[in-house]
Amino acid sequence: MIDPADHLVVDCDWHYADTFTQVAPYMPEPWKTKFPKSGFGDTGVRQNLSAFFPASTGNRFNYGKIEREFSEYPDGGDTKADVLEGMDHLDIDKTLQISHLILAMGGISADDRRVEAFVKGYIEYMLEEVLDPDEGIYGLAPMPYHDIDASMDILDRVEDEEAFVGVVMVTAGASPPLGNRKYDPIYERCEEMDYPVVYHTGGSGLDDYVRAGYQDMIETHTLGFLEANMSQIVSVACQGVPEKFPDLDIVFMESGVTYIPGLVCRINEEYLKRSEEAPLLEKKPGDYITDFYFGTQPLEVSARPDLLEICFDMVGTENLLYASDYPHWDFDSPSIITDLPMLDDEDRKNILGRNAVEAFGL
Amino acid sequence: MSAENRVEVGPAAEFEDGDAELVQVGRVEVGVIKANGEFHALRNQCPHDGGPVCKGEVEPRLVGEWGGSGERVEQHYDDDQQIISCPWHGWSFDVETGEHIGDDRYAIPKYDVVVEDGTVYVKGE
Ligand code: FES
Repeated sequence: MIDPADHLVVDCDWHYADTFTQVAPYMPEPWKTKFPKSGFGDTGVRQNLSAFFPASTGNRFNYGKIEREFSEYPDGGDTKADVLEGMDHLDIDKTLQISHLILAMGGISADDRRVEAFVKGYIEYMLEEVLDPDEGIYGLAPMPYHDIDASMDILDRVEDEEAFVGVVMVTAGASPPLGNRKYDPIYERCEEMDYPVVYHTGGSGLDDYVRAGYQDMIETHTLGFLEANMSQIVSVACQGVPEKFPDLDIVFMESGVTYIPGLVCRINEEYLKRSEEAPLLEKKPGDYITDFYFGTQPLEVSARPDLLEICFDMVGTENLLYASDYPHWDFDSPSIITDLPMLDDEDRKNILGRNAVEAFGL
Repeated sequence: MSAENRVEVGPAAEFEDGDAELVQVGRVEVGVIKANGEFHALRNQCPHDGGPVCKGEVEPRLVGEWGGSGERVEQHYDDDQQIISCPWHGWSFDVETGEHIGDDRYAIPKYDVVVEDGTVYVKGE
């Protein structure tokens, strides 16, 4: 068994607990002025997703059962010092920051300027105040994919910034789904820039999940997150994104790994019956999917160990990326990987850090 | 093809393109298919679930071409590739090779066909 403290650990899914108060000064006008003046704080609207983006009804604090030592997520707002403290706490050497607030962007369908304004502000804020490659703090640039031109602006902005190493597409709420040709320009540019596309399951309001009307976090976190990722995996694979952009690295984040074999089996069965509907594919869709990278969190270690072994086998340990999801309530520390009995130490080191170095060119 | 182990199928002139004629060859049923003017013989047993694959439709394969970023994938029928689709669940096979169009690990056994003096024959096992 290896000790994470002695080895490179790259965390591919750290949620930077940004607040609107932090980001607003960096937003373009009119938001920069309009939003802080809106009185969101005084009216009891909390500093979380609902202040700017649609509300999420799930209570992430789990009724007071969770206490946070290193971050006041979600209301406090992290600073660079909090990130460094958390990295030290978890023995993480490098981390890829994903905006916490952006997870709600899928809930926006009409006023897409909000997403663009937020992302532009977020990028400037992170560059100025948080990201620091020398300290191992990297960022993934959110794509305001409702608007391709805005997405291109973002890519132009971050292209020469060493601190950004890829993009994030929030999977919940993307409509049409992300295999649609509408998004080709984003993929084309990311391929050119050597930027992996990280598809991250989303925390839009519960009514924006694939299925509307869940009542509690336990439901959305089990199914909503999963459905959001699965719907995009199917679209991306069947519409041939990996054939169109063969050098694009595709990463799916934050739904664990046990759903992958089931989805692969199912999509392959469909493909055998309806191959002509996916004419760009040169092999079965499941063969593309098992070439994607997958973040491990939240790893379903309580599942039958033999099932987890099959999952790792199917995806390949070279395609698994350790992710903590810290400081979210269900974060995984590196020991989740080092404690897995079916892995050898090389596999553990690969999943913990080396695969990410390769994928993100760190 | 020796005359002994071949099975007579019928006059070649009676086949239209896309027609398939079933014959018993030893213990198995074989479909003799005419596609693009050529004869092919495949076992009439689908590798999926044993369906009568040779009773299915013969048609050109639908292929897609991608013009570039953001472009629609243009689809058209490629007359050079003829496929036959099993009527039970739609698995489709290349008529010439017997291979599944989506996964060549699945293939229908092929048989030799010959046309002699206007008559079609399949070679037995
Ligand atoms: S038996 Fe032929 S497709 Fe199922």
